[in-house]
Amino acid sequence: MEISLNVNGAQRSASTEPRKTLADFLRDDLELTGTHVGCEHGVCGACTVILDGRAVRSCLLLAVQAAGSEVTTIEGLALDGEMNPLQQSLWDSHSFQCGFCTPGFVMQATAFLADHPDAGEQEIREALSGNICRCTGYQSIIDGVLRGAERMRQS
Amino acid sequence: MAEILAERYTGASIKRSEDPRILTGHGRYVDDIKLPAMLHAAFVRSPIAHARVTGIDVSAARELPGVVAVYTGADIESMTVPGPDLMASMMGGGNPIPEFTLLATDKVRLVGDPVAVVVAESRYIAEDACELVEVDYDDLPPVASAEVALDPGSTPIFANLGDNIAAPRKRKDFGELEEVFASADRVAEFRIDVHRHQNVPMEGRGCVAVFDGESGLLTIHAATQSVHITRMAVATRLGIEPDKVRVLSGDIGGSFGLKIGASREELAVAAAARGLSRPVKWIEDRGENLMTSGQAREESFDVRAAVSNDGELLALDVKMVIDTGSYPAMGGMVPGIIEAMLPGPYKMQALGFESVGVVTNKAPYVAYRGPWASETFVRERILDLLAKDLGVEPLDIRLRNVAERSDPPASMVTGRPLVGVTTKESLERVAQLVDIPAFRRRQADERARGRHLGLGIATFIEAAPGPRSPESGQGLMGMERMRLRLDDDGVVTLFTGQMPHGQSHQTTLAQIAADEFGVPFEQVRVVVGDTDVVPFGMTGGSRSATMTGGVALHGARQLKAKVLDFASHLMEASVDDLDITDGRVEVRGDPSSAIAVAEVARQAASGQSGDDVDGNLEVEASYDGGEGGWSGGTHAAIVEVDVETGLVKIERYVVAEDCGALINPAIVEGQIRGGVAQGIGAVLLERSAYDEDGNFQSATFMDYLLPTACDIPRIEIEHLETVPLDADVNFRGVGEGGMIVAPPTLVNAIEDALSPFGVRIYEQHLPPARILELIDAAG
Repeated sequence: MEISLNVNGAQRSASTEPRKTLADFLRDDLELTGTHVGCEHGVCGACTVILDGRAVRSCLLLAVQAAGSEVTTIEGLALDGEMNPLQQSLWDSHSFQCGFCTPGFVMQATAFLADHPDAGEQEIREALSGNICRCTGYQSIIDGVLRGAERMRQS
Repeated sequence: MAEILAERYTGASIKRSEDPRILTGHGRYVDDIKLPAMLHAAFVRSPIAHARVTGIDVSAARELPGVVAVYTGADIESMTVPGPDLMASMMGGGNPIPEFTLLATDKVRLVGDPVAVVVAESRYIAEDACELVEVDYDDLPPVASAEVALDPGSTPIFANLGDNIAAPRKRKDFGELEEVFASADRVAEFRIDVHRHQNVPMEGRGCVAVFDGESGLLTIHAATQSVHITRMAVATRLGIEPDKVRVLSGDIGGSFGLKIGASREELAVAAAARGLSRPVKWIEDRGENLMTSGQAREESFDVRAAVSNDGELLALDVKMVIDTGSYPAMGGMVPGIIEAMLPGPYKMQALGFESVGVVTNKAPYVAYRGPWASETFVRERILDLLAKDLGVEPLDIRLRNVAERSDPPASMVTGRPLVGVTTKESLERVAQLVDIPAFRRRQADERARGRHLGLGIATFIEAAPGPRSPESGQGLMGMERMRLRLDDDGVVTLFTGQMPHGQSHQTTLAQIAADEFGVPFEQVRVVVGDTDVVPFGMTGGSRSATMTGGVALHGARQLKAKVLDFASHLMEASVDDLDITDGRVEVRGDPSSAIAVAEVARQAASGQSGDDVDGNLEVEASYDGGEGGWSGGTHAAIVEVDVETGLVKIERYVVAEDCGALINPAIVEGQIRGGVAQGIGAVLLERSAYDEDGNFQSATFMDYLLPTACDIPRIEIEHLETVPLDADVNFRGVGEGGMIVAPPTLVNAIEDALSPFGVRIYEQHLPPARILELIDAAG
């Protein structure tokens, strides 16, 4: 069926099977492969995108459920080709290694900081505890998000 | 640590050049590849651990619209070359090598064993069609544990073995074992078990195979730790010349030892792509990854320890059983490494080591970050158990036994010289950092209030790359090769066989080459992942810091000499007076003479310099590891155990480590923390669980629990001053140490916390329920 939605600020329309997940729709139909699929059962968080302001698991949603919504993916964060303050801070902090979980963490942190700009370490740890990273032991990610929050407060 | 000059990149936490693409969603992982006319594969898998396949009907699946082909095991055999499996023989599988087919034909050997592959226009259709394949199974008795496998009456999983012994029992004694035991004050006996757990990279296995019928060229887009080893595996099993196989790899979402060579599924996909002359993609899902990709570490150790009354560990006599799972992978070679490494940094006089490897109806035993790590677990666990028996502080029994640095260096009783080892320094430093006397006072006070704190310390060394062999003078890691070229845009391009999957080689190798050659960091390009252009190599075994860092340094030096030689003709100056600084060749002391290296390269490329001048600004370098050396360190954990719930909280985690000279401290610390996190997961959460029938019990992330941001504490890291051994290259590997030593560190801390209950721990997996059982059993 034909669906229409706003993705990263642009209106997109495409035909999709009703059973297709939002993750597969973004990756295959819209060729936005920055959103990664890590477990397909909603635990690892790699596929996290922002749907109408909320962080959601795109592997647990059908594309048709996102019709008429606004979706932001990792590709939609950079400002004029420059990494945004959160991305810059994650870069400064050596936050990630293999990069596979990265889009999910960045989207989860983006949605969380939008609502909790003054969050401290423990709140950030809890907010990101639904995302799994196998490489880093998390400390560098937490430090990067803390630094990003600071930078966003200043700007 | 060697002094790092401020203006050098090497030694500084340079921001990663991988990150801009990764942080913006522009990484390119294997599942991101989309090709015209590409098909999708899905596998029909066995629901039974051990059974004969008596019939398979794929007709309904073939008729489903969108299905292009369905291949049974017999079909795939007719399209490929029979085993024995190259990887199994390379990885030291048993003798004889078990005989098996790529997809199951006559029997299945684990839950998840592939029996057919569907190729369809979409993955959705391929998975639908898998449901339509009818397979008839005739159950066989499952071999779901090493105990069953060791029973000569157990049903052989591989007919050509005749039993379930993959690596026959063998024994080797070092030193005067019986005499040392006979004269020891005490002999203690233990049985130590390590449980099965697994790599679980966030990206599973997968590939895209493309066959060009015109040229006969098979291209594999792979997620692999070595494009060349994958090429060898594909060429062998598909029966084509290696030069007709090209393996490409982009970003890889982690591996930790899992992605080596080509899996049975990937080989079947390659065969399908060749058969159909259309690109075929296969991306495993998480269930397949947990159930079938590979697991590690299920080992047991019967240990006798000879000890003196004042705490000297005189000898160990160890009998090891390893459960290598079903299809052979790495299990066969692990006991040999454990044997060599068991003495660790301690001066024990004798070691007896016996091992046997069995096959069972479980996922194959693969390499997982520090595959031999159980030697450290066993040794560091035993030292704590002995310290308790003797009533001494665990730190003190380690200091009592650790080999001091001496000239000539002491050697492990198994042979390797302990040259440059800083174990004693790391033990002493960690003891200072945690302030053991102050902790013991606090521990006693808190116990009086009903809180149970514990301190655990453990130490390790890792041959990364290891010392030169005393007999042959050779390094342990062979040769590392690299091609380096100065391009006419002034960029120094490194072609390496390393295949990074999180290790940040694009950054670290550029740091080293930029410093040595004399160009800005941004002016070095690192090329990986293409068998057509990179030399043989692999990422693994913590080899790349020394081996690839070393070849980058020496290769950049060779390339620089070549560029300066050419420039000396161009500039009509003596080569001895020239240097390269910040991307420019200049006569020393005369900045006005400077010419950009790009200009030198353009002049060379023009070919107008005459026959007597070598204008080919490219070198092939190789490196043998130089003087080598050990990585190592000591970790300490302070935990609190809630004795009502069994929950373990890590209050503090401290590392004092020595991985030689640091290339990039932030990257080193990331490797250490990531390894420690996996070790914490192994102890508190992770287990690849099977029931007695061989049914896999942990096939989702709700059953196989990974640590989250709330489970892993801040990890404090201190880098020790290293003992330089080599004139140029003192970088040492750091990828595996955290995972090697975190499990004994944490288990030692938990046992210490539970000491008022008299708990003694002989295992590694300690989720809350098990801790409560241990308290109950001791009480």
